[in-house]
Amino acid sequence: MKESTILRWSAVGLLFVIGLINMYYGNSYAGFFQNLWYVMGAIYIFTAAVIASNFEPRFAQPAVFGYAIFLFVLWATTALGTGAGLDTVAYADKAIEALLVVNMALVIRSSRSPSTLS
Amino acid sequence: MTQSTTKQWSTGKLLLVVGVVAIVAGAAVGTSVGYAVRYAAPTTRSFYLFNNSLPFDQNVWGIPHDVFSPDRITVNKGDKVVIYYRNIEDTTEDHNFVMDSPYTFDAVVHAGQNETFPIASTLKSTTAVVVHVNQTATITFTASWAGVFRYYCAYHQPTMTGYLVVLG
Repeated sequence: MKESTILRWSAVGLLFVIGLINMYYGNSYAGFFQNLWYVMGAIYIFTAAVIASNFEPRFAQPAVFGYAIFLFVLWATTALGTGAGLDTVAYADKAIEALLVVNMALVIRSSRSPSTLS
Repeated sequence: MTQSTTKQWSTGKLLLVVGVVAIVAGAAVGTSVGYAVRYAAPTTRSFYLFNNSLPFDQNVWGIPHDVFSPDRITVNKGDKVVIYYRNIEDTTEDHNFVMDSPYTFDAVVHAGQNETFPIASTLKSTTAVVVHVNQTATITFTASWAGVFRYYCAYHQPTMTGYLVVLG
């Protein structure tokens, strides 16, 4: 199996896991603004499908990369401002999200490398 | 510059630009959200809970005269709840504190009238704690589920019952 394929499917796995964690968090843990967690989780699961289908990768992959960074920074600044979202589930979610950012960077680099373009 | 180098640089530039835009946007939105919800954020809410005896003869009326004071605790979903439960009986009568599912709590029982006394027992993720006379139990949990949930003393039913109201 090609490296780019492995990276892409590992990203799909991470996206799906984060989506499920966000859904769980919104359902039973978030305390407030839980609807936002549902939306974020649904978007993650949707993007897992998009990345899995390799639909418009030159747009979709950077978009997912940016989305993951955006949510990570959003969480960090909100947590600093309110003290909310500082718990084990959120930490696990964000650790996986950080892993996803690295994974997506490798996916983008791999899919845009000359060997895969030729 | 070779074509390969150009491609690598383009990828790096793409990642940099997307990353910077995402960080700036995330920080801007996060700061705004943090500012907007600062006063609605979950917080720690402390309550002092006591047993109380109503002035009637429980043998005549056929029900216990024991009740909780207060018998309503209201918090927001997500709040950390700390209950300082004191058994203030003037007889050697035990009481316990039980919560209905799905709630569990941690409890530290102190062998005296406040939290400065030595710890008599510690319970984790339990649904019930016994408090002897002149003891204090510090009960902590997070109000993760919205709704109305019963807390009660199993020894003095049905009168010694209260309700935790969690606003969703």
